[in-house]
Amino acid sequence: MDESLDVLIQLQDVDCLLREMRDPEMASQEERLGFAVEGISNLERTREKLASRVEGRLLQTYERMSRRFFRVIVPVNGRVCSGCRISLPTNTIGRNSEGATYEFCENCGRILYRR
Amino acid sequence: MSPATLSPTVEIPLLRQHLRKALFISELRTKRKSSVLEEMVAVLATADATRHPEGVLDAVRRREALGSTGLGKGIAVPHARSTLITERSMVIARSSKGIDFDSPDGLPTHLCFLIVAPPLERDPVYLNLVAEIVRAVRLAKTRQRLLEAPDFGTVRRTLIEAANG
Repeated sequence: MDESLDVLIQLQDVDCLLREMRDPEMASQEERLGFAVEGISNLERTREKLASRVEGRLLQTYERMSRRFFRVIVPVNGRVCSGCRISLPTNTIGRNSEGATYEFCENCGRILYRR
Repeated sequence: MSPATLSPTVEIPLLRQHLRKALFISELRTKRKSSVLEEMVAVLATADATRHPEGVLDAVRRREALGSTGLGKGIAVPHARSTLITERSMVIARSSKGIDFDSPDGLPTHLCFLIVAPPLERDPVYLNLVAEIVRAVRLAKTRQRLLEAPDFGTVRRTLIEAANG
């Protein structure tokens, strides 16, 4: 997997965890089940470090799209974008013009990765 | 261990749906928490639940860093969401020697349930599955039966009975 995409996926996973831990309902459900939840500031620092490793334009795209979509980076399932469920043209998956192995869904704009 | 709370909207037996022989480790080879998580995530890759185990392991470790998922009484339920998981999955592992999972009671963990799920918005099923496990293993006799079960079939039956009971 392309390194930028790998870091971006980690960033999305951290964002998902942060959202859950900041959601009072989710956080209290974790605590009711008996799980300790602390150290969110460390997770925020991890996010900053990951974000600093993503190329500027790609990070901007991710940040902009994450305001619109819960999941910006999604797997391609067969030839279908698992974000919008639309079939992709045959040349969508492959190297983009900068040589990276990620691409964007032409319909919804999400960033795609191969399973 | 705190009592589990199930959402009233859950109508399907979640635990039953997630019991897979390919995701069962009868006896863990390792006993350190970090390597146990690695061993369990590796099983997910072997069973084709992910093709990117390193990324899934990162997500599991990051959740664990927020606070131990060791619940005490020999049980741990590590859980995390990862972009690199496409379907919710559960790995069950046993350790007769016990694992130091930083549990609140300080006792070693003998039964470990790893749950991974994709990051879906407002997915109540993920934590409800965790809750169902917590409820199923609340009785000492169930935990003992799970540890002594000779095969996956017996583990499966024990968990289903306990979840229904």
